[in-house]
Amino acid sequence: MTGWLFPGQPLRCEQFTDHNHDLEQLHQLCCEVTGYDLLKGQSCSDGTLSNHTALQIHGVVSSLYRSRCLKKVGDVPDLLAEHSLGIYAALAVAGCMSEQAALELVARIGNSMSRLAGSREYALGCPIGLLVDPVEAAARNNGVYVANYNTSRHFLLAGEKQNIEAALAECQAAGAFSVSSFACEAPLHTPLMAEISSELAAIVAEYRFTEPQVPLIESVAQTTLSAAAIPAFLVDELQQPVWWERTWKAVRTAGVTRCIEVGSGQTLTKFNRWIDSEADRV
Amino acid sequence: MSDELIPKVKQMIIDALRIDGMEADEIDSDAPLFGEGLGLDSIDALQLVVAMEKDFGVVVPDAATGTKVFASVRAMAGYIAENQK
Repeated sequence: MTGWLFPGQPLRCEQFTDHNHDLEQLHQLCCEVTGYDLLKGQSCSDGTLSNHTALQIHGVVSSLYRSRCLKKVGDVPDLLAEHSLGIYAALAVAGCMSEQAALELVARIGNSMSRLAGSREYALGCPIGLLVDPVEAAARNNGVYVANYNTSRHFLLAGEKQNIEAALAECQAAGAFSVSSFACEAPLHTPLMAEISSELAAIVAEYRFTEPQVPLIESVAQTTLSAAAIPAFLVDELQQPVWWERTWKAVRTAGVTRCIEVGSGQTLTKFNRWIDSEADRV
Repeated sequence: MSDELIPKVKQMIIDALRIDGMEADEIDSDAPLFGEGLGLDSIDALQLVVAMEKDFGVVVPDAATGTKVFASVRAMAGYIAENQK
Protein backbone atom coordinates (compact mmCIF):
# COMPACT_ATOMS: atom_id res chain seq x y z
CA MET A 1 0.00 0.00 0.00
CA THR A 2 1.45 3.33 -1.08
CA GLY A 3 1.11 6.59 0.82
CA TRP A 4 1.85 10.02 -0.53
CA LEU A 5 2.95 12.53 2.13
CA PHE A 6 2.57 16.25 1.49
CA PRO A 7 5.08 18.38 3.42
CA GLY A 8 4.59 21.80 4.96
CA GLN A 9 6.13 25.10 3.96
CA PRO A 10 9.70 24.84 2.68
CA LEU A 11 12.39 27.10 4.13
CA ARG A 12 13.48 28.29 0.71
CA CYS A 13 12.37 28.21 -2.93
CA GLU A 14 14.23 25.44 -4.67
CA GLN A 15 14.80 26.24 -8.32
CA PHE A 16 13.17 23.90 -10.79
CA THR A 17 15.71 22.43 -13.17
CA ASP A 18 13.25 20.45 -15.32
CA HIS A 19 11.92 21.75 -18.61
CA ASN A 20 8.69 20.06 -19.63
CA HIS A 21 5.04 20.64 -20.43
CA ASP A 22 3.78 20.01 -16.89
CA LEU A 23 6.13 22.53 -15.35
CA GLU A 24 5.34 25.11 -18.03
CA GLN A 25 1.62 24.54 -17.48
CA LEU A 26 1.95 24.95 -13.70
CA HIS A 27 4.12 28.02 -14.23
CA GLN A 28 1.42 29.61 -16.40
CA LEU A 29 -1.31 28.64 -13.96
CA CYS A 30 0.68 30.00 -11.04
CA CYS A 31 1.28 33.34 -12.76
CA GLU A 32 -2.34 33.75 -13.80
CA VAL A 33 -3.95 32.65 -10.56
CA THR A 34 -1.53 33.79 -7.86
CA GLY A 35 0.77 36.37 -9.43
CA TYR A 36 3.80 34.23 -8.56
CA ASP A 37 6.48 33.51 -11.15
CA LEU A 38 7.44 29.94 -10.41
CA LEU A 39 10.50 29.84 -12.60
CA LYS A 40 12.00 33.11 -11.38
CA GLY A 41 10.97 32.41 -7.78
CA GLN A 42 9.43 35.85 -7.30
CA SER A 43 6.24 37.84 -7.79
CA CYS A 44 5.14 38.55 -11.35
CA SER A 45 5.25 42.12 -12.59
CA ASP A 46 2.79 43.64 -10.10
CA GLY A 47 4.91 42.39 -7.16
CA THR A 48 2.12 42.29 -4.58
CA LEU A 49 3.05 38.98 -2.95
CA SER A 50 5.05 38.89 0.25
CA ASN A 51 8.10 36.62 0.34
CA HIS A 52 6.32 34.28 2.74
CA THR A 53 3.22 33.98 0.58
CA ALA A 54 5.48 33.34 -2.42
CA LEU A 55 7.21 30.60 -0.45
CA GLN A 56 3.86 29.04 0.44
CA ILE A 57 2.77 29.06 -3.19
CA HIS A 58 6.13 27.61 -4.22
CA GLY A 59 5.67 24.80 -1.70
CA VAL A 60 2.23 23.91 -2.99
CA VAL A 61 3.22 24.01 -6.63
CA SER A 62 6.30 21.86 -5.89
CA SER A 63 3.95 19.22 -4.52
CA LEU A 64 1.58 19.54 -7.47
CA TYR A 65 4.44 19.17 -9.94
CA ARG A 66 5.88 16.16 -8.12
CA SER A 67 2.41 14.58 -8.07
CA ARG A 68 2.09 15.01 -11.81
CA CYS A 69 5.52 13.43 -12.33
CA LEU A 70 4.61 10.45 -10.15
CA LYS A 71 1.31 9.93 -11.95
CA LYS A 72 3.13 10.06 -15.29
CA VAL A 73 5.25 7.06 -14.30
CA GLY A 74 2.18 5.17 -13.10
CA ASP A 75 2.52 5.72 -9.38
CA VAL A 76 -0.87 5.77 -7.69
CA PRO A 77 -1.45 6.58 -4.01
CA ASP A 78 -3.71 4.46 -1.83
CA LEU A 79 -3.66 7.03 0.93
CA LEU A 80 -2.64 10.67 1.37
CA ALA A 81 -1.42 12.50 4.47
CA GLU A 82 -0.57 16.15 4.94
CA HIS A 83 1.57 18.35 7.14
CA SER A 84 0.38 21.97 7.52
CA LEU A 85 0.60 23.73 4.15
CA GLY A 86 0.66 20.31 2.50
CA ILE A 87 -3.13 20.23 2.83
CA TYR A 88 -3.69 22.38 -0.26
CA ALA A 89 -1.78 20.15 -2.69
CA ALA A 90 -3.21 17.08 -0.97
CA LEU A 91 -6.75 18.35 -1.55
CA ALA A 92 -6.00 18.87 -5.24
CA VAL A 93 -4.42 15.44 -5.61
CA ALA A 94 -7.34 13.85 -3.74
CA GLY A 95 -9.67 15.44 -6.29
CA CYS A 96 -11.44 17.64 -3.73
CA MET A 97 -10.61 20.76 -5.71
CA SER A 98 -8.74 21.71 -8.88
CA GLU A 99 -5.05 22.62 -8.93
CA GLN A 100 -6.10 26.11 -9.95
CA ALA A 101 -8.43 26.46 -6.98
CA ALA A 102 -5.81 25.11 -4.59
CA LEU A 103 -3.23 27.62 -5.83
CA GLU A 104 -5.68 30.49 -5.67
CA LEU A 105 -6.79 29.51 -2.18
CA VAL A 106 -3.26 29.26 -0.79
CA ALA A 107 -2.41 32.66 -2.27
CA ARG A 108 -5.51 34.30 -0.82
CA ILE A 109 -4.96 32.76 2.61
CA GLY A 110 -1.28 33.70 2.44
CA ASN A 111 -2.15 37.30 1.59
CA SER A 112 -4.62 37.41 4.44
CA MET A 113 -2.07 36.03 6.90
CA SER A 114 0.62 38.42 5.71
CA ARG A 115 -1.44 41.33 6.98
CA LEU A 116 -0.85 40.06 10.52
CA ALA A 117 2.80 40.98 10.09
CA GLY A 118 1.83 44.65 10.07
CA SER A 119 0.84 44.62 13.72
CA ARG A 120 3.54 42.42 15.31
CA GLU A 121 6.80 40.69 14.49
CA TYR A 122 6.39 36.93 14.53
CA ALA A 123 8.86 34.06 14.30
CA LEU A 124 9.08 30.30 14.31
CA GLY A 125 11.52 28.54 16.62
CA CYS A 126 12.98 25.12 16.11
CA PRO A 127 14.39 23.36 19.19
CA ILE A 128 15.90 19.95 18.45
CA GLY A 129 16.84 17.27 20.93
CA LEU A 130 14.64 18.02 23.95
CA LEU A 131 11.68 15.92 25.01
CA VAL A 132 8.21 17.44 24.98
CA ASP A 133 7.95 18.54 28.64
CA PRO A 134 10.81 21.07 28.67
CA VAL A 135 9.76 22.38 25.25
CA GLU A 136 6.18 22.92 26.42
CA ALA A 137 7.48 24.54 29.61
CA ALA A 138 9.69 26.92 27.62
CA ALA A 139 6.73 27.79 25.41
CA ARG A 140 4.45 28.41 28.40
CA ASN A 141 7.04 30.44 30.28
CA ASN A 142 7.58 32.76 27.36
CA GLY A 143 4.08 33.18 25.93
CA VAL A 144 4.57 31.19 22.74
CA TYR A 145 3.05 27.96 21.47
CA VAL A 146 4.18 24.57 20.27
CA ALA A 147 2.99 24.72 16.67
CA ASN A 148 4.35 21.36 15.45
CA TYR A 149 4.87 18.14 17.40
CA ASN A 150 6.91 16.46 14.70
CA THR A 151 8.68 13.69 16.61
CA SER A 152 9.62 13.03 20.23
CA ARG A 153 12.58 15.42 19.79
CA HIS A 154 11.65 17.77 16.93
CA PHE A 155 9.27 20.64 17.59
CA LEU A 156 8.33 23.97 16.11
CA LEU A 157 7.38 26.96 18.25
CA ALA A 158 5.39 29.94 16.99
CA GLY A 159 4.72 33.34 18.48
CA GLU A 160 6.08 36.85 18.77
CA LYS A 161 9.72 37.09 17.74
CA GLN A 162 11.21 38.29 21.03
CA ASN A 163 9.27 35.62 22.93
CA ILE A 164 10.44 32.93 20.53
CA GLU A 165 14.04 34.00 21.10
CA ALA A 166 13.50 33.80 24.87
CA ALA A 167 11.86 30.38 24.61
CA LEU A 168 14.71 29.08 22.47
CA ALA A 169 17.27 30.41 24.97
CA GLU A 170 15.40 28.46 27.67
CA CYS A 171 15.43 25.34 25.48
CA GLN A 172 19.15 25.77 24.91
CA ALA A 173 19.75 26.10 28.66
CA ALA A 174 17.65 22.97 29.22
CA GLY A 175 20.00 20.99 26.96
CA ALA A 176 18.56 21.24 23.46
CA PHE A 177 21.01 19.92 20.90
CA SER A 178 20.31 22.84 18.58
CA VAL A 179 17.94 25.79 18.27
CA SER A 180 17.17 28.00 15.31
CA SER A 181 14.56 30.61 14.43
CA PHE A 182 12.96 31.93 11.29
CA ALA A 183 10.97 35.07 10.62
CA CYS A 184 7.34 34.53 9.66
CA GLU A 185 4.36 36.72 9.00
CA ALA A 186 1.79 34.89 11.09
CA PRO A 187 1.86 32.73 14.23
CA LEU A 188 0.86 29.59 12.32
CA HIS A 189 -0.85 26.75 14.16
CA THR A 190 -1.51 28.78 17.31
CA PRO A 191 -4.62 30.30 18.91
CA LEU A 192 -3.26 33.71 17.87
CA MET A 193 -4.56 32.95 14.38
CA ALA A 194 -8.12 33.41 15.71
CA GLU A 195 -7.63 37.11 15.00
CA ILE A 196 -8.22 36.46 11.30
CA SER A 197 -10.32 33.30 11.47
CA SER A 198 -13.51 35.05 10.29
CA GLU A 199 -11.67 36.49 7.32
CA LEU A 200 -10.19 33.09 6.48
CA ALA A 201 -13.56 31.38 6.87
CA ALA A 202 -15.10 33.88 4.43
CA ILE A 203 -12.38 33.10 1.86
CA VAL A 204 -12.74 29.34 2.27
CA ALA A 205 -16.53 29.61 1.99
CA GLU A 206 -16.15 30.74 -1.61
CA TYR A 207 -14.80 27.32 -2.64
CA ARG A 208 -16.58 24.04 -3.23
CA PHE A 209 -15.00 20.76 -2.17
CA THR A 210 -15.90 17.32 -3.41
CA GLU A 211 -15.32 14.01 -1.65
CA PRO A 212 -11.69 12.82 -1.69
CA GLN A 213 -11.11 10.10 -4.26
CA VAL A 214 -8.23 8.85 -2.12
CA PRO A 215 -8.43 8.79 1.70
CA LEU A 216 -6.70 11.86 3.15
CA ILE A 217 -5.49 11.82 6.75
CA GLU A 218 -5.11 15.28 8.30
CA SER A 219 -2.38 16.14 10.78
CA VAL A 220 -4.37 17.77 13.58
CA ALA A 221 -6.60 14.95 14.82
CA GLN A 222 -5.65 12.23 12.31
CA THR A 223 -9.15 11.91 10.93
CA THR A 224 -9.89 11.01 7.34
CA LEU A 225 -11.29 14.19 5.83
CA SER A 226 -14.71 14.30 4.20
CA ALA A 227 -15.80 17.05 1.81
CA ALA A 228 -18.12 18.49 4.45
CA ALA A 229 -15.31 18.72 7.01
CA ILE A 230 -12.78 20.46 4.75
CA PRO A 231 -13.88 24.13 5.03
CA ALA A 232 -13.86 24.14 8.85
CA PHE A 233 -10.63 22.16 8.90
CA LEU A 234 -8.81 24.68 6.70
CA VAL A 235 -9.61 27.49 9.13
CA ASP A 236 -9.24 25.47 12.33
CA GLU A 237 -5.93 23.80 11.46
CA LEU A 238 -4.19 27.19 11.44
CA GLN A 239 -5.12 27.56 15.12
CA GLN A 240 -4.16 24.01 16.11
CA PRO A 241 -0.76 22.31 16.38
CA VAL A 242 0.37 19.79 13.80
CA TRP A 243 0.88 16.31 15.28
CA TRP A 244 3.13 14.65 12.74
CA GLU A 245 4.26 11.65 14.79
CA ARG A 246 0.62 10.69 15.40
CA THR A 247 -0.13 11.23 11.72
CA TRP A 248 2.74 9.03 10.59
CA LYS A 249 1.64 6.32 13.00
CA ALA A 250 -1.92 6.59 11.66
CA VAL A 251 -0.55 6.20 8.14
CA ARG A 252 1.36 3.11 9.22
CA THR A 253 -1.66 1.71 11.04
CA ALA A 254 -3.74 2.18 7.89
CA GLY A 255 -1.43 -0.32 6.22
CA VAL A 256 0.94 1.88 4.25
CA THR A 257 4.24 0.13 3.60
CA ARG A 258 5.68 2.37 0.90
CA CYS A 259 5.80 6.13 1.24
CA ILE A 260 6.71 8.97 -1.06
CA GLU A 261 7.25 12.53 0.10
CA VAL A 262 5.51 14.62 -2.50
CA GLY A 263 7.12 18.04 -2.46
CA SER A 264 10.21 20.01 -1.77
CA GLY A 265 12.88 18.40 0.45
CA GLN A 266 12.87 15.29 2.61
CA THR A 267 11.80 16.65 6.00
CA LEU A 268 8.88 14.30 6.55
CA THR A 269 10.95 11.32 5.46
CA LYS A 270 13.57 12.27 8.04
CA PHE A 271 10.95 12.70 10.76
CA ASN A 272 9.55 9.28 9.84
CA ARG A 273 13.01 7.77 10.00
CA TRP A 274 13.41 9.15 13.51
CA ILE A 275 9.99 7.86 14.61
CA ASP A 276 10.62 4.43 13.10
CA SER A 277 14.10 4.20 14.62
CA GLU A 278 12.63 4.91 18.06
CA ALA A 279 10.08 2.17 17.53
CA ASP A 280 12.92 -0.16 16.49
CA ARG A 281 14.86 0.70 19.65
CA VAL A 282 11.83 -0.15 21.78
CA MET B 1 44.00 4.94 15.47
CA SER B 2 41.18 7.20 14.25
CA ASP B 3 41.75 6.21 10.59
CA GLU B 4 40.86 2.64 11.53
CA LEU B 5 37.47 3.90 12.62
CA ILE B 6 36.67 5.54 9.30
CA PRO B 7 35.00 2.52 7.61
CA LYS B 8 32.91 1.90 10.74
CA VAL B 9 31.86 5.56 10.88
CA LYS B 10 30.83 5.49 7.24
CA GLN B 11 28.75 2.38 7.79
CA MET B 12 27.17 3.96 10.87
CA ILE B 13 26.16 7.00 8.78
CA ILE B 14 24.60 4.79 6.11
CA ASP B 15 22.74 2.71 8.69
CA ALA B 16 21.60 5.59 10.90
CA LEU B 17 20.42 7.75 8.02
CA ARG B 18 19.07 4.75 6.09
CA ILE B 19 20.81 5.85 2.90
CA ASP B 20 19.69 3.32 0.34
CA GLY B 21 22.00 2.29 -2.46
CA MET B 22 25.19 3.80 -1.06
CA GLU B 23 28.30 1.86 -0.11
CA ALA B 24 30.64 3.01 2.65
CA ASP B 25 33.53 3.55 0.27
CA GLU B 26 31.46 5.98 -1.78
CA ILE B 27 31.59 8.50 1.06
CA ASP B 28 34.56 10.86 0.86
CA SER B 29 36.34 10.81 4.23
CA ASP B 30 37.17 14.50 4.02
CA ALA B 31 34.06 15.94 2.37
CA PRO B 32 31.72 18.10 4.47
CA LEU B 33 28.71 16.13 5.68
CA PHE B 34 26.41 19.13 5.96
CA GLY B 35 25.38 21.56 3.26
CA GLU B 36 27.43 20.31 0.35
CA GLY B 37 28.82 16.76 0.40
CA LEU B 38 26.13 14.43 1.78
CA GLY B 39 23.80 17.42 2.25
CA LEU B 40 22.80 16.57 5.80
CA ASP B 41 20.74 18.86 8.03
CA SER B 42 19.93 19.35 11.72
CA ILE B 43 17.47 16.43 11.72
CA ASP B 44 20.23 14.16 10.44
CA ALA B 45 22.61 15.59 13.02
CA LEU B 46 20.49 14.41 15.93
CA GLN B 47 20.14 10.99 14.31
CA LEU B 48 23.94 10.78 14.09
CA VAL B 49 24.32 11.91 17.70
CA VAL B 50 22.13 9.03 18.84
CA ALA B 51 23.94 6.56 16.59
CA MET B 52 27.38 7.67 17.83
CA GLU B 53 26.31 7.20 21.42
CA LYS B 54 24.80 3.79 20.67
CA ASP B 55 27.60 2.43 18.49
CA PHE B 56 30.65 4.06 20.07
CA GLY B 57 29.52 5.29 23.49
CA VAL B 58 30.50 8.84 22.59
CA VAL B 59 28.36 11.88 23.39
CA VAL B 60 28.06 14.99 21.22
CA PRO B 61 26.53 17.41 23.72
CA ASP B 62 25.40 20.28 21.53
CA ALA B 63 25.26 21.72 18.03
CA ALA B 64 28.42 23.78 18.53
CA THR B 65 30.38 20.60 19.21
CA GLY B 66 28.45 18.88 16.44
CA THR B 67 29.56 21.50 13.91
CA LYS B 68 33.18 20.45 14.52
CA VAL B 69 32.52 16.74 14.91
CA PHE B 70 30.35 16.45 11.82
CA ALA B 71 32.70 18.48 9.63
CA SER B 72 33.69 15.23 7.89
CA VAL B 73 33.91 11.49 8.43
CA ARG B 74 37.56 11.93 9.41
CA ALA B 75 36.59 14.52 12.03
CA MET B 76 33.95 12.15 13.42
CA ALA B 77 36.47 9.32 13.63
CA GLY B 78 38.93 11.62 15.37
CA TYR B 79 36.34 12.73 17.91
CA ILE B 80 35.35 9.13 18.63
CA ALA B 81 38.99 8.09 19.08
CA GLU B 82 39.58 10.96 21.51
CA ASN B 83 36.44 10.46 23.55
CA GLN B 84 35.82 6.72 23.52
CA LYS B 85 36.28 5.21 26.98
